[in-house]
Amino acid sequence: MNIDTFSKLQKEGLISEEEMQRITTAENNRLFSLHWEIKTILYLGVLLLSGGLGILVYKNIDTIGHQVILLFIALVCIGSYVYCFKHRPPFSHEKTVSPNTFYDYALLLGSLTFVTFIGYLQFQYTAFGTAYGLATFIPLVVLFFTAYYFDHLGILSMAITNLAAWAGIAITPMQILSKNDFSNQTLIYTGIALGAALVLLAELSARRNFKSHFAFTYNNFGVNIFFISALAAMCIFDSPIYMLWFLLIAGAGYRCYTWAFRDRSFYFALLSVLYMYFGLSILIFRLLFSIRNDDGFILALFYTICSAIAVILLLINLNKKIKQ
Amino acid sequence: MIAWSSTTLDNLDIQTEAAKAHRQHCISNETLETIRKAHPVNLYTPNPVIRIGLFILTLICVNFSVGFVLLTTGINNENALRGGVVFCGLVCYGILEFAVREKKCYNSGINEALLWMATSLLSTGILFDFNSTTPSATTIAMVMLLLTTLATLRFADMVSAAGVYISLLALIFLQVLKWGNTGKMIMPFVIMGVSLAIYLIVTQGIKRHAFRHYRNSLTLLRILSLITLYLAGNYYVVRETSNTMFDLQLPPGQGIPGGWIFWILTVIIPLLYLYSGIRKKDAVLLRTGLILVSMVVFTVRCYHHLAPVEIAMVLAGIMLTGGAWALIKYLHTPKYGFTYKEADEASMADSMKIESLIIAQTFTPDQTQPPQNNFGGGSGGGGGASGEF
Repeated sequence: MNIDTFSKLQKEGLISEEEMQRITTAENNRLFSLHWEIKTILYLGVLLLSGGLGILVYKNIDTIGHQVILLFIALVCIGSYVYCFKHRPPFSHEKTVSPNTFYDYALLLGSLTFVTFIGYLQFQYTAFGTAYGLATFIPLVVLFFTAYYFDHLGILSMAITNLAAWAGIAITPMQILSKNDFSNQTLIYTGIALGAALVLLAELSARRNFKSHFAFTYNNFGVNIFFISALAAMCIFDSPIYMLWFLLIAGAGYRCYTWAFRDRSFYFALLSVLYMYFGLSILIFRLLFSIRNDDGFILALFYTICSAIAVILLLINLNKKIKQ
Repeated sequence: MIAWSSTTLDNLDIQTEAAKAHRQHCISNETLETIRKAHPVNLYTPNPVIRIGLFILTLICVNFSVGFVLLTTGINNENALRGGVVFCGLVCYGILEFAVREKKCYNSGINEALLWMATSLLSTGILFDFNSTTPSATTIAMVMLLLTTLATLRFADMVSAAGVYISLLALIFLQVLKWGNTGKMIMPFVIMGVSLAIYLIVTQGIKRHAFRHYRNSLTLLRILSLITLYLAGNYYVVRETSNTMFDLQLPPGQGIPGGWIFWILTVIIPLLYLYSGIRKKDAVLLRTGLILVSMVVFTVRCYHHLAPVEIAMVLAGIMLTGGAWALIKYLHTPKYGFTYKEADEASMADSMKIESLIIAQTFTPDQTQPPQNNFGGGSGGGGGASGEF
């Protein structure tokens, strides 16, 4: 806080003597926070340690043997979980506060090692045979349980990505577009179903007030995967089926839009507007190019310029509306 | 000078300060309201999320409009094309001035997009490859310096400020290069000297009342000058630049003349940053120093293999984790004005739940095999996970 600003405000008679006193004391006793720095160091340390140990094991696999490694991973996993069970806050339907920074990292380590353990087991010994689904299903259950029981948003995200992987889709933020082959129709249907299910879960958590702070994470993954799959469908399906997909996008977009207003969420309002806009643009481009081949290009150019301006004005309006 | 009214920007500062004081329960709700009423801000600054959306849409709109203009002016004529690009740049700037003055856009996504597009269109138009004569590097640096300086002064834009700094350094680099061998020899020290001078000037200037609207740009300049000051003396940078740009043709394993000076600089400077960062309680120095320590490790490892990489990683991991743990314990009760408690500023990362997304990203499960690949039996492919999972 800037003392000069406040003394000026005091001269203008906007803040009282007592408040000025409080501000000066607070400013004089202000501490320099090293929170960000220490947390970064800790995260880097954990990252280096786990990476280094991984390479070490990988290089010496012949002398160590797989059983020993599996045992070690299991021990780390059990150790982390035991620590967390001992220090966990009592279970609650609401958000719980984690007892300390280590607790969060221990939980993360425990979950990661558990997934590694199952993966290792399958990779080396094909413990689950050809039932590939099982090798992702077990971590899936454990991750969801961990996320709810210990109340950890990061692990919930891991669980959701695992759920998607089990269904055959990559939904991590950087890979959602690069790793998936959206010309595959099965993938599109899976994506739509998964997205809808996640949004439903978000709705349920919010309505039943059961871990309602998880709703954002569910919604975030759900909405994005749903719309991306539907947009992909608009691109690959033949005429006139793609128009049905447009109707689906419009309907879902409207739903998302009203929910965004209900929750006063700028983020989902923006998402619904942008995805609906992209859907409409695909529809118009496909129509333009199928009807008028020669002038279609110029018209499409015109459409893009005008519609972009229209959406900008719409967003500005929307921002004002949500703020009220 | 700056495009927005100075009073409004001051009022914005007052409102932010008041909000901070309110968060720390120093002032009451009523006081906050009266301060807001007495110092009104009529700028249009949307929520950060909407800002990103507006930025993307403005870029789409400008790019398609430019394409449209260029289509009509004709692509065959070089002069017409050049004129078209400059025209588009000027129109962009005109719209930007309108948006700022009439619509009061401030940090809205629209003004950033228009400013960057205007700057890049104008520079492209001016530096256009005319009659197949490519403009010299010095000309490019000078034009960029001029344009970005104007943009920074008028709009206090951080990206433009970075552009000013980089083009200025490039200009100095090119001038010193003209002195031949002496120039190449003293290059690192010239760049270091310039960086240090700029750092000192900016650090002084940031406290001045007259420059208060440029605080963010000046902070960025501080960070950049600290980084270039280090990089100019870094052994790896000096050796590899001399090798590729000055044709030194060093065989691998051979050092550069006077290498020991650079080794000392490589190791000492980040530690100096950290030390003075802690002494002055300066977050910029401290964080830049922390990031540059990793650069020291990288440089040393690049030329001296003290230990195999995995051992080094494990040792470093143990040291960092242990150090962080010790620091957290040590700062459990605040000492010497330092604390482990979070600062009172509400951070953007928290509200977006960024951390959970990063965790989801670093953790990438392999997808289950699609059913049609299952016929190969268990040995091939590996359905569950790869080794690094």
